[in-house]
Amino acid sequence: MKRILILAAASLLGVAAVVHAAELPFNGFLEYSLGSRIVDDDTASGGILLHETRFQVDIIHDADSGSLQFRADFLLDTVTAESLTDVREAYILLTPSSNLDLKVGRQILTWGTGDFVFLNDLFPKDWQSFFIGRDDEYLKKPASAVRATWFGDSLNLDFVWIPVFEPDSFISGERISYWDFRQNRKAGPADGIIEPVRPDKTVANSQAAARLFGNVGNWEAAIYGFDGNYGQPKGYDSVLGKFDYPRLQTWGASLRGSLLGGIGNAETAWYRSLDDSGSNDPNIVNPEYRVLVGFSRSVGRDQTLGVQTYLEHALEFPDIGRSEQDRLWITLRYTGLFMQQNLTLSWFSFYSPNEKDAYVRPKVSYKVSDEVRTTFGANLFFGETENSFFGQFKDNSNVYARVRYSF
Amino acid sequence: MKKSLVIILLYAFILVPVPGAWGLSVDEIVSKANLASYYGGDDGAARARMQITDRQGRIREREFTILRKDVEEGGRQYYYVYFHKPGDVRKTVFMVHKRPDGDDDRWLYLPALDLVKRIAASDKRTSFMGSHFLYEDVSGRSIAADTHTLTEETGEYWVLDNLPRDPGSVEFTHYLIWIDKKTFLPVKAEYYNSRGKVYRRVEALEVREIDGIPTVTRSKVQDLDTGGNTEMTFTRIKYNQGISNEIFTERYLRNPPRKFISR
Repeated sequence: MKRILILAAASLLGVAAVVHAAELPFNGFLEYSLGSRIVDDDTASGGILLHETRFQVDIIHDADSGSLQFRADFLLDTVTAESLTDVREAYILLTPSSNLDLKVGRQILTWGTGDFVFLNDLFPKDWQSFFIGRDDEYLKKPASAVRATWFGDSLNLDFVWIPVFEPDSFISGERISYWDFRQNRKAGPADGIIEPVRPDKTVANSQAAARLFGNVGNWEAAIYGFDGNYGQPKGYDSVLGKFDYPRLQTWGASLRGSLLGGIGNAETAWYRSLDDSGSNDPNIVNPEYRVLVGFSRSVGRDQTLGVQTYLEHALEFPDIGRSEQDRLWITLRYTGLFMQQNLTLSWFSFYSPNEKDAYVRPKVSYKVSDEVRTTFGANLFFGETENSFFGQFKDNSNVYARVRYSF
Repeated sequence: MKKSLVIILLYAFILVPVPGAWGLSVDEIVSKANLASYYGGDDGAARARMQITDRQGRIREREFTILRKDVEEGGRQYYYVYFHKPGDVRKTVFMVHKRPDGDDDRWLYLPALDLVKRIAASDKRTSFMGSHFLYEDVSGRSIAADTHTLTEETGEYWVLDNLPRDPGSVEFTHYLIWIDKKTFLPVKAEYYNSRGKVYRRVEALEVREIDGIPTVTRSKVQDLDTGGNTEMTFTRIKYNQGISNEIFTERYLRNPPRKFISR
């Protein structure tokens, strides 16, 4: 292990020196990451969850008529022993008329008011990256999409069309173990990777999302709609023995604004599980309501505290992927900047009083120079039972370190 | 009748502000200095570079484009800040709707997450981007936050002493400010701690006339306790560019205005 570290550090320094000297015509970063379980997991042979070197290239080209953006990661993943290219963004942004913006191509899409809690943001996510200690940005997974935003005098309309369904990178057993309800036991890397059936590539299966937004007094208000599929395999065909992504339609609304010296937000969504109509099929996710209320404010110089309460209520129970009919979370975020803002201490936790489980993300990050940032953190899972949402990941609690050279 | 006339005259005498040089009252000087420093033109755009030197002499750099639009002369303003350097904050946008009489509204756009974040209004005396400049140095301290007295007048400057109305909200006990009589630009400010010692100095190093508006193009903050300092240089300064209100909305957080920001 020591030798790997020295080798990695040496190559990182070498490339950094070359990059520094070359004055490259593009920006980006070089990053080395290493993370490991801190508990034993019976379903996995090794403890290393994260071990990779990432080189990101970021190019922007602006013209009068629009912008071109290309940003891609070239990744050497030692855990899976493969090298791959992750095109994060490759789009053209145009303004065809004074009140219309058009973004076409591979892009990251985000909306809604939650902090690490998503109600109306049904765009692709990468939960595995989130759990193993990659940078927060990797929680968002790019999609190839067309985004058109129309700006009116008081109301604006955002419309997103994703022609081919892009699933989340969910917990598939590639590195992280999980509760397998089919076998009523934990499963992990030793059990193989779940490969769900994807929807056929037809126009009818394309994904559409819309947001109508504007200001109501001092509040930012929005109404949302989505028609597509669940990003996670929340359906199981017991005949084929295969998971799939059930059809989903959602409706929702949100508010955000200044409140009591801080920022308050509220959001709600109604999930219509279209494949589950009629009688309750426990192998297809049930319709559900989601409600979120949040508040954040400054608690000292360069220090912020945020609290959220989130409730997910399944209309029927039992339900796939649920140990309780309701999922109640209280989240807590603390961010503090110290030492001329070069040191960042942060904490994010999810706690469920009814499922009796928790997930904690402490992180320390220090900027050695304008170019070099080091980050140390942990993903800690707790739970009374092995089948609750966070409890199932108990044996995947991990610590990680990253060093990034930006240029 | 005579008695009441005397009273009226007396009142008039007391209520008329005590004139400083050139017949200006202290409040007029403060208000003109505020307009000269933060409200030049109806809008403004500039490229800024900060060089931050810490107590050990290590240097860090920041570079950003700043757009400003005045909603009310001497009152509400919009600010849009697009970061070019360092690499880890490149493309990040910070937007402020400034209200001198209340909490500012602040947004941050994180491009890698396509996230428009609303930031809780905080202490305006926190560091701007890890530099020795504070938010208040960049966008102005409300003139109503202090009481001002003229302590000295020279041929070139008015020297004002400023006492905070709410001493608990700031780290200084008072500060002196030197205002140039010709341009009304504050050219130096010295902040005193509770031991009566100057611990912080902000200075204009270079003033140039741009589009007929005297403008501080280079300034410096020194932390006299630690020896750290930050120098800020403005280039490509332009006034009255017709920057519209809609630049300061969510649309342009996600789609930076190419007309004003060259990347």
